[in-house]
Amino acid sequence: MSMRKVAVVGAGMTKFVRRAQETPKELSWQASRMALQSCELTMDDIEAVCLGTAPDAFDGVHMNGEYLSDGAGAWRKPYMRSYVGGGTGVFVPIQGWYHVASGLFDVVLVLAEEKMSSFYPHAQAAFLTIFDHTTERALKPNLLWIFALEMNRYMTTYGISKEDIARVSVLHKHNAAKHPCALLGDADITVEDVLNSETLAWPVQRLDVSPVSDGAVAIILAAEHIAKRITDKPVWIEGVGWSLDTAYWTNRDLVYPRYVEYAARQAYEMAGITEPRKQIHIAEPYDPFDYKALHHLEGLQLAERGKAVELYISGAAALDGDMPVCPSGGLLGVGNPIAAAGLMKIAELFWQLRGEAGDRQVAGAPRRGVAQAWGDLMQVGTVVIMGR
Amino acid sequence: MILLERNPQAPRAWLGNLPVTSRYTFGLGGERFFRAIKDEGKILGTHCPKCERTYVPATIYCERCLGKLDEWVDVGSTGAVHTYTLLYENYDGSPREEPEIIAFVSMGDGGIVHRLGEIDPEEVEIGLEVEVVFKPKSERQGSILDIVHFRPVA
Ligand SMILES: [Zn+2]
Repeated sequence: MSMRKVAVVGAGMTKFVRRAQETPKELSWQASRMALQSCELTMDDIEAVCLGTAPDAFDGVHMNGEYLSDGAGAWRKPYMRSYVGGGTGVFVPIQGWYHVASGLFDVVLVLAEEKMSSFYPHAQAAFLTIFDHTTERALKPNLLWIFALEMNRYMTTYGISKEDIARVSVLHKHNAAKHPCALLGDADITVEDVLNSETLAWPVQRLDVSPVSDGAVAIILAAEHIAKRITDKPVWIEGVGWSLDTAYWTNRDLVYPRYVEYAARQAYEMAGITEPRKQIHIAEPYDPFDYKALHHLEGLQLAERGKAVELYISGAAALDGDMPVCPSGGLLGVGNPIAAAGLMKIAELFWQLRGEAGDRQVAGAPRRGVAQAWGDLMQVGTVVIMGR
Repeated sequence: MILLERNPQAPRAWLGNLPVTSRYTFGLGGERFFRAIKDEGKILGTHCPKCERTYVPATIYCERCLGKLDEWVDVGSTGAVHTYTLLYENYDGSPREEPEIIAFVSMGDGGIVHRLGEIDPEEVEIGLEVEVVFKPKSERQGSILDIVHFRPVA
């Protein structure tokens, strides 16, 4: 298979906030413009645009891709929206990657946007409509149920305490306190605070959960010959993978995310990675809930099953540890405007690998990182490996 | 803080809606699955002999091999609690005095997500054997809510 090398050459993001004054189009425009400015390109240089945004219900516009198109920079360009639920934010750069790797385009703008505050009275209600209309929806399920059921099965199977799981939320919120775009950064939060927060759906408590948010993120991808002209610090997309498990979530292994493993193996093979724990220096696993980061680290083969929490206990997951996890602050700390949150992780690897992450820069001049997202009806895994 | 809390400093906004109403069918598999619940008080699965899996709720195809499934089996009225959650908030975000118990009950190779009843929240545990409680036949309409809840096996 002959594929061209593809680099990320620019990135931009809006602040993640609870309710943005900006319309979804305006958020899209802000992120796109920042990404262009970061690498001194203009729309004349952009050959195609890839958009990622999750359910139409959040922005409150059917065919949201068309609605967002002008803010996304799609005017008179090849443009396509991709959508794999919560996995979208790490899938849309994969879509952009194959646009460029295939030779079809040289420079592509990739944008992800979500404005969840439009949904009234609360974005949670939109999630009711993703469940099976006959077998589940009559029970009025919400997303917390699924996470609570999965978290309980995971922690019970391995005997992991809620105290230890809370360490994830604490570390990510500490990291987010150093991120200028974060909604819920908190340098002082403790495990006690998490354990004392309101119980929503046991074992899930308020501070185990990422906040619904508004925001947008954009990156610019370029083929090798262009990338080297644009910047002396290109960050290469070395591997991509995605995989889907059964859509009926009761047919799935709730303890181990096999869909993440399959996606990760595809990406590692493409990147020539045989020992991920040695060859990956930064991990940005998807962390809408604290236990989910652990789940996903295991699927990414960065920890043995049931052992990911030890990265947090030992300090390896900290900014100055051997395997920094979510140096951005993750969804738990920066916020969770769904598709934008996934692409935020790609932007974070871009900044970290270039040494441009400011106060939250991880130690030891990292060479390679992995970003991962998860979604659809909780069963898609999307993975991107980036390196310099 | 409850789910509905809003920041008074938030930007001005107005209310609008997308008027969407849907009329769903049960589907070919659902028609038979729910008719068995309504008429016979039975939970049916379908078996794929090739993949050796029994789908509950029943489906007319196997998602693994895409084979057509026509082996319908009664999977019985009991199962183990695979996992559960205790809901301390109502759907609108208001708090509850007593939590609602939601469980995934294993049946066949799948299972049913439903409420648990006739048990204290503190007594629920993973692995607990539970049985289905149906509404009286005269009140059943062919809905997942024809199941009142699951309760511990006596
Ligand atoms: Zn089969």
